[in-house]
Order: sequence, then structure tokens, then C-alpha cells
Amino acid sequence: MAENQDKIAAVREQLFSRRGFLADAFSGLAGIGLTALLQRDFLAANEIGPIDSRRWKHGCGRPPLEAKAKRVLQIFCPGGASHIDLWEHKPALAKYHGQPLPGEENLVTFQGKNGNLMNSPWPFAPAGQSGKMISTLLPNMARHVDDIAFIHSMQSKTNTHGPGCVFMNTGAIFEGFPSAGAWVSYALGTANENLPAYVAIPDIRGEPPNGKANWSSGFLPAQHQGVVLAAQQPIRNLNVPSGISPEEDQATRELVHFLDAGHATCNPGLSELQARINAYQLAARMQLSAPAVADLDAEPRSVHRFYGSDDRNPFKAAYARNCLLARRLLEQGVRYVNLYCASRASGVDGLLNWDAHKTLKADYERHCPIFDEPTAALLTDLKQRGLLDDTLVLWTTEFGRMPTHQAGVTGRDHNPAGFTCWMMGAGVKGGAIVGATDDFGRRAAVDPATVWDFYATVLQLLGFDHKQLSYYHNGLNRRLTDVQGNVLRGLLA
Amino acid sequence: MANRHLITRVLLIGVACGSRLAELRAAAPTPIDFKRDVAPIFEQHCIRCHQPANKKGELSLSTRADLDANEVLLAGKPDKSRLLEVVDAATGAKPEMPKEGEPLSKQEVAVLRTWIAQGADWPEGAIVKERSKADRNWWSLRPLHAIVPPTDGVPMEWRGNAIDVFIYTKLKAAGLAPNSQADRRTLVRRVTYDLTGLPPTPAEIAAFVNDRAPDAYEHLVDRLLASRRYGEHVGRQWLDVVRFGESTGFEVNHIIENAWPYRDYVVRSLNDDKPFDRFVMEQLAADSLAPGDPATEIALSFLVCGPIDIVGNADAVQAAQIRADGIDEMIRTTGEAFLGLTVGCARCHDHKFDPVTQRDYYSLYATFAGVFHGDRPVAPDEQLREHAAKLAPLEYKKKQLQEVRATQLKRCKEEQHVAEIDRQLAEVDRQIVALPGPPMLPVGKFEQPAAEQFVFERGDAQRKGARVVPASMNTLADVTKGFELSADAPERTRRLALARWLVAADNPLTPRVIANRIWLHHFGTGIVATPNDFGYMGVPPMHPELLDWLAKYLMDNGWHLKRLHRLIVMSQAYRQSSDYHADAAKLDADSRWLWRFPPHRLTAEEIRDSMLYVSGKLDERMGGPGFRLYQYARDNVASYTPLEIFGPETYRRSVYHQNARAARIDLLSDFDAPDCAFSASGRVPTTTPSQALALMNHSFTLTMAESLAARLKREAAASNPAAQVRLAFELLYGRPPNDHESAAAVDLVHRFDLRAFCRAMLNSNEFIYVN
Repeated sequence: MAENQDKIAAVREQLFSRRGFLADAFSGLAGIGLTALLQRDFLAANEIGPIDSRRWKHGCGRPPLEAKAKRVLQIFCPGGASHIDLWEHKPALAKYHGQPLPGEENLVTFQGKNGNLMNSPWPFAPAGQSGKMISTLLPNMARHVDDIAFIHSMQSKTNTHGPGCVFMNTGAIFEGFPSAGAWVSYALGTANENLPAYVAIPDIRGEPPNGKANWSSGFLPAQHQGVVLAAQQPIRNLNVPSGISPEEDQATRELVHFLDAGHATCNPGLSELQARINAYQLAARMQLSAPAVADLDAEPRSVHRFYGSDDRNPFKAAYARNCLLARRLLEQGVRYVNLYCASRASGVDGLLNWDAHKTLKADYERHCPIFDEPTAALLTDLKQRGLLDDTLVLWTTEFGRMPTHQAGVTGRDHNPAGFTCWMMGAGVKGGAIVGATDDFGRRAAVDPATVWDFYATVLQLLGFDHKQLSYYHNGLNRRLTDVQGNVLRGLLA
Repeated sequence: MANRHLITRVLLIGVACGSRLAELRAAAPTPIDFKRDVAPIFEQHCIRCHQPANKKGELSLSTRADLDANEVLLAGKPDKSRLLEVVDAATGAKPEMPKEGEPLSKQEVAVLRTWIAQGADWPEGAIVKERSKADRNWWSLRPLHAIVPPTDGVPMEWRGNAIDVFIYTKLKAAGLAPNSQADRRTLVRRVTYDLTGLPPTPAEIAAFVNDRAPDAYEHLVDRLLASRRYGEHVGRQWLDVVRFGESTGFEVNHIIENAWPYRDYVVRSLNDDKPFDRFVMEQLAADSLAPGDPATEIALSFLVCGPIDIVGNADAVQAAQIRADGIDEMIRTTGEAFLGLTVGCARCHDHKFDPVTQRDYYSLYATFAGVFHGDRPVAPDEQLREHAAKLAPLEYKKKQLQEVRATQLKRCKEEQHVAEIDRQLAEVDRQIVALPGPPMLPVGKFEQPAAEQFVFERGDAQRKGARVVPASMNTLADVTKGFELSADAPERTRRLALARWLVAADNPLTPRVIANRIWLHHFGTGIVATPNDFGYMGVPPMHPELLDWLAKYLMDNGWHLKRLHRLIVMSQAYRQSSDYHADAAKLDADSRWLWRFPPHRLTAEEIRDSMLYVSGKLDERMGGPGFRLYQYARDNVASYTPLEIFGPETYRRSVYHQNARAARIDLLSDFDAPDCAFSASGRVPTTTPSQALALMNHSFTLTMAESLAARLKREAAASNPAAQVRLAFELLYGRPPNDHESAAAVDLVHRFDLRAFCRAMLNSNEFIYVN
């Protein structure tokens, strides 16, 4: 019975405190000046210790358990970035190049028939103190291997890009589920109320497969949706429309405020009215703070050169600018940044993203230079600024690629049975390696790991038991980790 | 019943064991019976984590074989059995198991000890399964129990409508009293929004305020229910429930250009007040009820208007799973939309909370197994045959030409030849398109499914378990007659049987669920606050008797929804004011007992439609292809880019927006319009800065502000800002301004212009809240 009462209370809380976090955050704050508010933000952002788990409430700014990380940067390379051509060295591919894959001689995968085993077109070389083997296509990323914990045994449920990307971001292959960023926004709330808690930075070439479903709030309240902001794309509706002077805009806001204040007085007991009044003030502040954080010109030339944002390759320069933007957002306390390198599929496989079906060599010689230097620069910058101490960095893709080439061409088909993701930064044991695929990279063979294990680990680093963080929807207390998930202890510092 | 029985038995054993535990250990008691004594303990304490679907610590306690696969016990030697060691708290410490939940009682430990001591007998075929938390006695699965409420102590004016008697009685019991009636201005605005989704005009307000006839309100309600706007408004609510979307979703997400006729069908059905049982049946089985009639068969879009992965997959295992996912989507929506049951939870295992078994789920799977996504020509059979006869020679010619073309290309013949063939091909295509044919509608394609249908173990289409046939769910077997068809039953009859079962007179769920949905949209919250979940995980009803009474009323009134709407809005409970009382709020802050009418924010569509309406710009053309607030681009996948400018072609009611999936729409997405990935039972209004940004800064607001300003100049004295301000208040708030408001508004008009004032009004709270 007690369980039932708790359940009713939880659902009730969810359904009826629909003013949600804003109302909670603001209810006691009307009339407090901007300075006070900013100070409060600053304090909140610097608190990391847990609060009593019985008193814990979603969005209160702190986790119920001890946390290592306060914020997350997730870099996503859509298209199925090949584990065996980037991160996981498979010498057997060279040895058996041109021979059939043992036991799977007539393999039919996503696009059809497979040919024989195909060696990676580029050599691997040892890097760092650890001597971890990494593709020579990633000379800059090679500098970071000692700080990275690789998971070489990831497995996905689907071999299709759209559901795969959504799965990697939400833990479900269907649309309509909240992404990890939305869960973190819901769980922790914002650390800087003048900026969104969760920002998605799509690539200049376009959105990833399945588009906005990747940063959706799903069934969580709409305020947890990822706000799209990129160097090439300001926050939607942020600017006062042309033809309206600042004075007119200000006077209009004052009248709105006057009318709303009167209306709120006539309607006591409706706290969402006050929340809406506050949301207008917050929006006004966001109009000032978001362009400021997105103003990359404020960075010295040397920084731009370091990231590669002045590169002649326009895709690389654009991605480098987004890397720089990501750092500025994290610095300002944005909780979750979802940064994309590449986009959805195009008419030509592998052109716009990592989906190298037909011409692996040409495709990755196009994508790796875009990815390598700016990403490495971003990681170095985060480290130098001390941000890595409490920022968790994730690198993800939706699945890996086959050790064979596709029949008749020199590219690889989708492989959900084994691929690589990695973590770095707060709470992560640098140089750790979790799991491995078999000799050819075909299947996760040692300690297979799922997206649910991945996020169970992420949530733990953020101070949450992934089994306890849930939200009622259509009959279930849903979790980011479904009914699965085991923390990958091997990569914890 | 079964549950209680088991508990009784365990208790009896408990009593028998009692405090004389040591004694009992020594003097061997009556033999332990596994099913009676041991299985319930495993069921209650162990099986959740130790079953084939979970297997914590690699251990399952489901079958004899599972037990044998582990060395957790040594038959005859309780003290050497790990099983006992981990659950026994005798040492005083917290036992190792169960990890989550209460430790076993001493009596239960004793039973296990004795069982092991006696040889740990586990009869062949005995399976320990996790029991759902609710059984078939769960309140929503019981027959409707409609009582006439006693009127003792209920004031005269609250006796005329059964709703009021129920509400008043509970209010009184909770120590609350209802508010007095709302004033007429408030009431006319409330009921007009509630039944049409748009505000009343100043003239309509004045007419009602000044109508002294005793049945003035009744007349108003009847006028609104007869308005075609009713179907547009209530239709949008139904489209949420059936996750109606106009693009395929997933990676490809192509737009579906011919989906709109279903939306029109919904609007038309509601405006015609089609009996709800008929409405349900048409959506599952229109091809049996009105075969070949496009206006009715379009209802079948219900089955296939959910998201579907059409990217194609050469991997047979993946392709089979994608197909299973497509049917799963239909099962879930059917369960949630009509029955308020989360049937989808039984895909991989028996439902953990409700008495829905995996067999129930796969009986539905067999029912839908012949439904495929896609278009189909819809016309009477004879017409289809005629069309096919005319089409066949053209298709034949086309095929021949294509073959010739391919051969020519291979032989590297001169390009002229190929060009000539291309010309002829184009001509055939033109003739095919020009051939007058039946409409192609996205109502799904039906094929006779394989006779053998199976339970998929753990939801995996490769792991076929027990055979199933199309059948009703056993969940309701105690209260309504089920169906079970033969394995080769024609595809069409499967869906028809399901449809009949859903709306059978003694199926209590369907009428309860729809009555609750109607209630929800009048009071902001359902009697059951989780309208898609009437099971254990849902919120129990506030007023179970009232819900049953409403469900019965609906059925007794020919399933006509308008009669139920009418009954609700005619009640005193609905007509009371929303005045706030701190004392009452202490007892019931959200007015769930309805001591006041709960004020609420407008929905996304109501906000956008109202902006257009008060500005005099709403284009009220009904039906037909929708408009778009995004730019659509497509190569092999689609992209949806929000529009910067909404032109006049978009000035129609939002229900006519072509609702693509995974498209973020200014205003609509901001104000909580759901992405139609699943059945959405209601809107959860949020408050976000992006709403403020959209309403303040999108060019649409500016255009509407300009249009409203132009209207004010037209309709109020052009040289009199105070009169213009007054008209704006009447249009947007349904009331005149007070002196302070008027002065502040006129001041802004003087300092800037009327447009600035209109922009402020469109952004103000009172415009988008209903009292």
C-alpha cells in the first residue's frame, strides 16, 4: 500500500506540478535582482556534493549521490564510424586480407552481400605512454589516448542509422524517448539560468539521421529538449524582429508585465502565471547572454588557429568553430552539449557522414581531417582550463562497420555487433580499455557492453543510480537505461 | 482471488510454524508441497530478479532445470545450501537476499529449510512466474457499476444532474464546498473555448450576457455543439490519441501527402456525432463495414498512421524485427487508445503490473499480422476490377518498353533509339496517370498472414515459442465474451472480431476510457489522471462511481459523444466560478474534487488559432490538403526547416497543419504539441523561455499584431485609441479594460503605435488562460 501511495504521489507530482522546474526555481525569486540571481547560479554551479537522497528532487541542481562530473560533452560521429579503421587495431585483417570471413562466407548484411576480409587502408601506430594502437588517420587524437577510456565491445540492437542514432542517444530505437541530455537536464536542472541546460550543435552539413529525435525531450516536459545552437545557427527566435526598436521592445515588455501582474493578482493560486512572467524575464536575459557566449570573435586568433577554425576546408573550419562554441558553452555551465561531426545520409553513401559503404579510403580521408584536429584541440583546451576535472566527455557513434568489404566495392557495411565508444574526463580512468571484439572486429567478444551500460556509467559519474532516475509514461516508470544497464566499472578512475 | 488464496495458505503455514520454530525443525511437519508452499515464496521475493528474462547473478528460479543449472542448494542438506544461507537472517544481520525489498519472514525461511530437508522436490512442469501486481479484479477490469447516487444533503440546484450529485457528495465528505456560478462573461468564454477551440466574439458575449431567457445557457451550448468548429477542436484531441502523423518518421521521414483524408474523416465523424462504437469499429474494420467506400475505409488509416521504418534492410533477421516493431506499434496504440491498457508491456514477458500475458499480446499480433503499411486503391470491387482491366495492357506495354530499352542500352545502340523509347515510355506513363481510377489511400494493405503465428520469446522474432491464433485478451475474460478464431481465419474477420470485442456491451474498458477522455478536456484532468493507463501503474480514479455512471450514460445514449459533452458542460460543477479560496486550496490545491473550476492555459493550437481569429485573419476553409509551417526538402531522406515567415496560405486552423514527425514547429512545438511518435493522452503544459522568445520574436506575432491593429482601426473609431484598446480587450480577454489598464495601453499607443500594443496583448497571460 505504501508503495502505491508513493507511486500516486510521484505521478501526481509529475502531472500537477506542471509548472515544472521553472515554477519551482522561481517561485521564491520574484523581485530578486539580476545580480543576486547570477550569484545564485554561480553558487549552484559550483556545488557538486550530493544532497540527502530522500530530499532530492529532480532539477534541484545537485545529484542525490556523490558525483564526479557536473556536465557532459557528447561528441557524436553519425553514420557508423568504423571501429576497426579508427580506434581498435585488428592485425588479423592484414594477415587474412582478401580471404573469406571464417564461418560467415555468405554474409548478407544491411545493404546486401559481403565480400572478403579487408584490411584497414591506413596503418595503426602506438600512441602515448600506454602505446595504445590508433589509426594514423588520427594523428592529433593520438595525443589523447592516455586520457581516454575505450569501450571496444559496444553492441547495438539495430543496423539502421536512424534508429541506431536514436538508440545511442535515448536508449530506445523508437522515436519519442528522451535523449540523455534531456534526462540530465531533467535530473540536474540548469546551472546557468541565462542559457539552456541542454544544447545540441548540429554539423554545418545538416542534422544527423533522424534529426531532432536525437535531442528530443520525448515524454519529458518540453523544457528539457535540446536547444539547437551552432556557430552557423543562432538560437531560434532569439532576436527582436527587425522594425522594432529596443525602446519599443522594452516598452512592450513593460506593458506585458503590467498586464500580467494585474492578472496574476486576480488569480491567486495559479503559480504558473508567475512562472510565465519569469520566463519572459529569463528570455530577455537569454537574448543578451546567448549571443555573448556564441560570439566566437571574442576569442583570440591564436585560439582559432589552434582549433582550426580558420582552415581552408570549410567543413573543418565549421566543425572547429562548433568545437570552440562547445567549450564556451561548457564554461558557462551548460549541463549537456551534444556536438555532431557529420550529418544525415545523403544520396551518396559516405559523403556527408561516416557511412563508408563503397569507398572507405576516400570517405575517411575526407572525414578524419575534419574531425581530428579540432576535436583534439577542444580536448586539450578543456584540459588546460581545468574543465576536464568536472566535465565528462563522451565519444559515440551508432554502430561500427564490417571487417569485410561489401561485394564488388571497397567500403564496409553496418555492423551493430561490435564497435567502439569512449569516455574521458571527470571520473574516467585514462588509458583504460573495456572489452574487445574478436580477432576480426566482427563481434564484441570480451565483456560486451550496451548503450544502457554506457549511460548507467554516465549517470553514476553524474551522481545518479540509473535505476532510480525514472519518469512515469504510459504505464511505466521509464528510465534512460530501460530495464537494463550495468555500470562499466573498468573505466572508472 | 487466486492471490488471496495463496496468501491465506502461506499464513496458515506461518501459524503452524509459529514461534515454535526450533520444535518444528526437529519434529518433521507435514510434507511441504512445492506449488502450495514454496512457489509463492519464490514468486514474492525472488523471481523478479531471478528469472530467464533477468537472471541476476546468472541465477533463475523459474524451473526445475534452472535450479539444477546452479548449485544453490543441496537436497536434504539445508545447512549446506547457499539458498538458505543468503535469505536466513537468523544471525541478526540483514540477509544478503533479497537485495531489494523486505527479507523473508522467519516462517518463510522455515518453509524453505524444511523443503530442502525433505529433498527439495520440484514437480516436473511447475514453473514459477512473476505475477502481475494487479489481477483480473483490478477496478477497471470489473463490470460497469452504475449506481444512482443518493441525493441526501445535496442542495436543490445540484440535484438535477447526476454529475453534480456525485461531485457535491464527495466535496462535502472532503470538507469542501463548491463555488457559486461563474459570471456570464467568464462562462461564455470558457464553454466556447472548450467546445470549439476559439474565443467568443464580443457580439456573442454581449448576446449571452443580455439573454434573459432561462435556457440561455442551454441554447449557447447547443449552438456550440452544432458548430463545425466543434469537430475541428475535438478532432485534434483524437488525432493526439491515435498518434496521427503525416510523415513516415524514423530516418527516412518522407512526408505522406495523402494522409489528410483521415484527419477530415475524424473531424466529420465528430461533427456528425457518429456513435463512438461505430467510430471505433470503422478504424479497425471499415473494410468489413463499408467495403469499397473511400469515405469510410479511410478510417483504417488508424492502423498505419504511426511511425514506420521504411529504410529497407537486406539483413533478414533485422528485417523481421522491423516488421514485428511495425505491428507492435499498432498493438500498443490500439491498447492504449481504446482500452487504456499498456498492452505493449507484454511483448517480451507477461505484463509485470497488469493481467496481460504474452499470449494476450501475441493473440493481438496474430490479429494484426496481415496489416502492412502503404497505399491501396479504395473503391467498390467492380470498379477496382474495371480499373485493373484497363490498367493491365498499359502496364504490359510499359514493361515491354523497359525491357527493350535495357537491351538497347546493353548493345550500345544509337542514343536516338533510346530517346524514342523514352518518349514512348513517357507517353505510357501519361496514359497510366490519366486513367481515371479509384483514390489511393494510406489505409494499409491487407494480406492473408501465415497460418502459424507464434509467441516471440523475449520479443525476439527469431525465437518462436507457443503457437497463437487471433483471439481476444484474456484480461477481460471474466466480464465479456471473448473470441478465438481459427489459425486460417480470413485477415479481414480478425480485425472485425477485435473491433466487436472492443465495443461489446459488457466490455467495461472502452466506455470508461472514452468517458474519461471527454471529461479530461473539460476539466483539465481526467477522473483517471492517466488516460492511457487504467492499469496498476496508472492513477486510480478520483470518482470511480461517477466514471462508471458517465460510461453507462454514454452507452445508454447511443454512444453519442455530444450528449456526454452536453451533460458535462450543463453541470453546476462545470459552471461554477474559478475563484480561489486559500482554505480549500490547502485541502485540494489542484481542485481535483472540483471545489472550483480549474483554470488552465490554452493548447498550442488554440493559441495559434486564437491569434489568427482575433486578428481577423483566420481562414476557416475546412478539410483538404494541409498547410505547412516548415520547408520540406527531400533526397533519400527528408528535412524540415522551420519557416521564417508564415504566409496567408497558412492562416488556417492548426488541425489542418500537415503534421510531420520530428519537425520542430514554431509556436506549436513550443507550446507542447506532441511529436506524434506515440499515443498522447493529453497535453502537459510547460512554461519555458522559448515560448516567450517565439511569441515575442517570431514574425508571425508581428504580422498578427499588425492585422489586429488594422482591425481595431477599422472597427473602432480610428482617432480614438481608448476605444481601440477597449475593443482589443473585448476580443482577446472577453472583457473591457479597467481604467489603469486602459491608461497604460493608451500610453504605449501614443509613445509608439497600435501594433506595439497589439504585440503586448498577444503576449499577455490573460489571452492564453481560461478561467
